[in-house]
Amino acid sequence: MTQQYLVGELSLILGELQAAATNAAAVRDVGRLRREAEITPPAALGPVVARAVKLGGRVCWDALTQGESAAFIRDTAIYAELWEFGVCAGLLEEGQTSHETGRS
Amino acid sequence: MAADQETEVSEAQIAVHWPEEAYYEPPATFIAQANAADPALFERFSEPHFPECFKEYADLLAWDAYWHTTLDTSHPPFWKWFVGGRLNASYNCVDRHLATSRNKAALIWVPEPEDEDTKAITYQELYRRVNEFAALMRDFAGVKTGDRVTFHLPMVPELPVSMLACARLGVVHSEVFGGFSGTACGERIADSGSHILVTMDGYYRNGELIDHKAKADEAVAKARALGAEVAKVLVWRRHRGQYASKSPMVPGRDFFVDEVLGDYRGRVVEPVSMPAEAPLFLMYTSGTTARPKGCQHSTGGYLAYVTGTSKYYQDIHPEDTYWCFADIGWITGHSYIVYGPLSLGTTSVMYEGVPTYPDPGRPWRIAERLGVTIFHTAPTTIRMLRKLGPDEPKKYNYRFKHMTTVGEPIEPDVWRWYHAVVGKGKAVIVDTWWQTENGGFLGSTLPALQPMKPGSCGPGVLGIYPVIYDEKGNVVEAGSGRAGNICIRNPWPGIFQTVWGQPERFVQIYYAKYCRDKNSKDWRDWPYFAGDGAVQAADGYFRILGRVDDVINVAGHRLGTKELESASITVEEIAEAAAVPVMDELRGRAVEMYVSVKPGVVSGPHIEQKVAKAIETAIGKIARPKNVWIVPDMPKTRSGKIMRRVIAGISNFSDVGDTTTLANPEVVEVIRRQVQAEKVARGELPRQLSPQELEEIKAFGRAE
Repeated sequence: MTQQYLVGELSLILGELQAAATNAAAVRDVGRLRREAEITPPAALGPVVARAVKLGGRVCWDALTQGESAAFIRDTAIYAELWEFGVCAGLLEEGQTSHETGRS
Repeated sequence: MAADQETEVSEAQIAVHWPEEAYYEPPATFIAQANAADPALFERFSEPHFPECFKEYADLLAWDAYWHTTLDTSHPPFWKWFVGGRLNASYNCVDRHLATSRNKAALIWVPEPEDEDTKAITYQELYRRVNEFAALMRDFAGVKTGDRVTFHLPMVPELPVSMLACARLGVVHSEVFGGFSGTACGERIADSGSHILVTMDGYYRNGELIDHKAKADEAVAKARALGAEVAKVLVWRRHRGQYASKSPMVPGRDFFVDEVLGDYRGRVVEPVSMPAEAPLFLMYTSGTTARPKGCQHSTGGYLAYVTGTSKYYQDIHPEDTYWCFADIGWITGHSYIVYGPLSLGTTSVMYEGVPTYPDPGRPWRIAERLGVTIFHTAPTTIRMLRKLGPDEPKKYNYRFKHMTTVGEPIEPDVWRWYHAVVGKGKAVIVDTWWQTENGGFLGSTLPALQPMKPGSCGPGVLGIYPVIYDEKGNVVEAGSGRAGNICIRNPWPGIFQTVWGQPERFVQIYYAKYCRDKNSKDWRDWPYFAGDGAVQAADGYFRILGRVDDVINVAGHRLGTKELESASITVEEIAEAAAVPVMDELRGRAVEMYVSVKPGVVSGPHIEQKVAKAIETAIGKIARPKNVWIVPDMPKTRSGKIMRRVIAGISNFSDVGDTTTLANPEVVEVIRRQVQAEKVARGELPRQLSPQELEEIKAFGRAE
């Protein structure tokens, strides 16, 4: 299958998340995960997406706790995009619980 | 009871659990206008007519010199098509249409911001732009025939212009998907040996102008770290005269294309007549090893194949407005946005942004406004459009005659929505199966001649003779309900020529598994191993099941080792992981995980529990490993690849095979003593493996 585009789309969204993150540790962690996504075969992307969702939640919380409402709105939009992508690509289960993915 | 049922589920039964879907017939209005409506086509492309049947595709092109040998098999599996023939891909996609279609739109580009005007680029204008950029590339950037040039471009018209300019010069282009990081781009620059990077300052995505040029700096730095020096970075600007990036231009290295291009206005570059087997482009795929795979595609064979399949399977007519809603950064975009449609002289639509911006009605507004007749996209996009705007298509007055799905299997339920709602019940659907390596479609239905069946891509396309083999190379018969490895028995013109710079990897990955005689020059001895699992119904239609690389079949569930390993390393303390099968009396096979922990981490049962839990969470209870072994290191090759075959031998108390080529052979004995002693202590005593089981363990991990 020509599923390489799933790798690319995930990398792209993680790139956005990395640019939006306000916390240096989160920037680093998202960068690492993006790198991992770029060298992961498409069939094995599921766990990477799950971790990305977890990290996305963390980035949103960081913005919220710092009182940065504009950043929070932007982060949640990226988070939603990540979630929709994961579900529509069949890499996340729609019914996956917040505990399983860290979705908040 | 449940356990008993599980043990009885065989691989054969996985397939028959899926109900067969009913056929959908194409509308008479479609058949009446179809390019391929003559059933004699099947005879013309049947095996007795191979390989000469592909002359029908090659004859769709303009050749500078006709070929003397259709298929040269003298150096298998490095097949050469149309040997002796000469042509230029840029001439075929641009120049030859000027006589009849000079002022027809070749490309219609739709920017993401909806208030920005759509741009139509005629064949005449495309000719002018391609020539000017080719002149710049040759005379300013100093590239010459055979050189490689890397693009890191988003979905803008400058991308096909750059591709066709390189093709005009006989320069091999290598486009890296614009959304990839600079690091990924740098690795591909280094691997291909390019010295020129063509990029853009920014592009729109989700309503924002993204800074893209910053990635070029990262790419150049990464390439340098890998020993490759980029001499020039050519930067197109999204808005002429304005710079969208915060990244400073590097004097002497970075140049704005729109500034330099002024010196090349009106310049004409004669298309270089290239041998049919000369490489046209590289398309990289990601993999598990550090080095990406650059799939090298040819000029004549590739262009003939994508032109032929665009005509017969996409049913592209010159008067169509054709929209492949994919990114040119992938093979789909190369084959079915640029080379195939433009070679046929049609109008190809490109869209810059995300499908749902500013709302999920956007694709249908574009289709209505531009009068799109053929629509082509991936199941992920279809699912997203259905989820976010299930009724949106009904609001717009467009009319598709033909729709394609590409990239992954589509579920029958999603297929039916695509057919009924997007296609309004009037469009045919062509579900396609193929890969980056293949150039064009391998499995699909010929839309006027073969009915559609939701969830199945269809039979092999014209001139492609697929077969399903089991692990031992026995044919899995159509209608048996059994799954296996889908292979293509014959070469075809669109097949990639090699993995750039890694010919041994090309042979090993795609041909070694089922090669009958490595000294044979008969193509019949060299089936192409696609790496996908499939099942073939009695009617010859294939259902594609997914990648088969290192699958562990637990009670009928095919678990990918990569998924298991990726889930394991989500545990903070884990550094590396490897999954192997172990014979299990209840479930046939069970999973055993080998993990090593990061420095400073104290290992113990809590880590084992965390790994098992992470796998359960990510994949499901069925994947819970029988054992998690925390080992000091993994047996690895000198290139760093974990040798699962060796570990599988340890888990199953069988021969670990030759370990002399390992980078760390001493660790094998350490692991063996640790694991086997613990198994014996737990009462997991070894049993005699059957010859078939021994063979399976020996073969494990060889898919890579």
